[in-house]
Amino acid sequence: MGERLQTTFAAGLADRAGRVLQFIWSAWAGLAALCLLAAAWQAGHEAYGPFILTSPLATLAEIGNLAGDPEAWALAILTLQRAVSGFALVTATGVLLGVAAGYSPATMRIATPLITVLLGVPPIAWIVLAMIWFGGSDATVRTVIWIAALPVVFMGAARGIATRDRGLDRMAEAFGAGPVRRFVTIGLRQTTTTLFPALALALGTAFKVAVMAELLANAGGVGGALADARINLDIAQALAWVVIAVGLLLIVEYSLVQPVKGEIDRWRHAAQPWGVKR
Amino acid sequence: MTALALHGIGHAYLGRSVLDGIDLDVGTGEIVALVGPSGCGKSTLVHIAAGLIDARAGRVERGYLRHAMIFQEPCLMPWATAAGNIDYVLGLAGIPRRQRQSRVPEVADQVALDAEDLLKYPVELSGGMKQRVTIARAFAVQPDFIFFDEPFTALDVALRRRMQDLVIDICSTSRVSGLFITHDLHEAARIAHRIAVVDTRGRGILGERTLTGDPRSRADATVFRWVQHALATDPLFHHVHDVDERNTA
Repeated sequence: MGERLQTTFAAGLADRAGRVLQFIWSAWAGLAALCLLAAAWQAGHEAYGPFILTSPLATLAEIGNLAGDPEAWALAILTLQRAVSGFALVTATGVLLGVAAGYSPATMRIATPLITVLLGVPPIAWIVLAMIWFGGSDATVRTVIWIAALPVVFMGAARGIATRDRGLDRMAEAFGAGPVRRFVTIGLRQTTTTLFPALALALGTAFKVAVMAELLANAGGVGGALADARINLDIAQALAWVVIAVGLLLIVEYSLVQPVKGEIDRWRHAAQPWGVKR
Repeated sequence: MTALALHGIGHAYLGRSVLDGIDLDVGTGEIVALVGPSGCGKSTLVHIAAGLIDARAGRVERGYLRHAMIFQEPCLMPWATAAGNIDYVLGLAGIPRRQRQSRVPEVADQVALDAEDLLKYPVELSGGMKQRVTIARAFAVQPDFIFFDEPFTALDVALRRRMQDLVIDICSTSRVSGLFITHDLHEAARIAHRIAVVDTRGRGILGERTLTGDPRSRADATVFRWVQHALATDPLFHHVHDVDERNTA
């Protein structure tokens, strides 16, 4: 039996190593997609000229220049800090409120129209209001991120709880799990199906809204640098900052959200047919 | 000794009565099969007996130390492997991690689950394997009472028979008591020491019949003859199979 356990443990380790390698290997598909985008970009550059659209290589050269400038690093880190802290804030509150609403159909019925109202208000309106309330500060950017991404995270968490498999709740109760244990081990675990796509969307929104809020509120960061590039009509620098903002988003998503999702959703991967897995 | 006693159990959903005046005892080491047509409230009764639903009337006396339950659906957590599912209930039973690690392969052996199958997720297992995991999960916590809520209804005939054999064997060896819900009289006659019949509309237990011998030593021919005889001549079983469930609770 001990030998069998050792074999089982070794198989588990091999499985984990295999999944990490597979995650790294899957980057090739992403790289291929980015190359396709670069080809379309290059075609646009050749059709309209460098004044309208600088080439991907010229943009890369500009990114290289910015990489050597400590001030540019500070701007990028400021935007990263604002977007990630705003995302953390909206994740914490959105999950908390969504889970509570998921367990309470009456709250869900009241919250649904409010979510529609929140979704209907354009982010620009919140930026104006936040500028009046907080000026050009971090709080402005975080507030706008929170309001823009809250409906998505809230609905993701609430739907996950509301559509959970109640049979699993019954099973856990039959084997002696109390309400708190059932919530932590069964209820919360089932929100991941709808919560992770919502979090990926919220993260994208956080970066987009952070740059937009910085640009309009003159709050520095990548948005502020984009505003400067617009004033100087520096297309290469504007595109370089856009690429940097997208790069930051990709780094956070693939170093934080996707690995956690991959670890939690291992069973979904196991269910996929071979051709989809690889 | 009584392992479980139900006294005057009654229940209603949205003001509509589904169970009324149910009295039933299960002795220690005894398996009682509860039969009745679909929709007569058998599942509600077993959920009340297991403490998953509060009865509107009556009381439940439990003389056992620890119970387990096997459901009609496997009710396996899809995100956990077969081993993880068994380990989960061991954790709920307060068994230390070190003991759990040795207990999981032990019960897997009892239900003929391979070590490789223990590493698989429910989605990778066949219907029969999933049901084996649920049986292993139930027996892993070493219960002295098991509630069976029509556990093999969704399985094909051959597989159902294998699962029944598994349950008969483990229950007899471990001297486990149980309440087995089924609408299949043949299954009841194979597994149980005693069969109780629920009224079509859940208004009490119509009657009981005690089977001779131990389920493990009961021959197939004996079971077949008993069922044929019961269905043909015993008025208690006349309405077990012939009810339109839309008209019942």
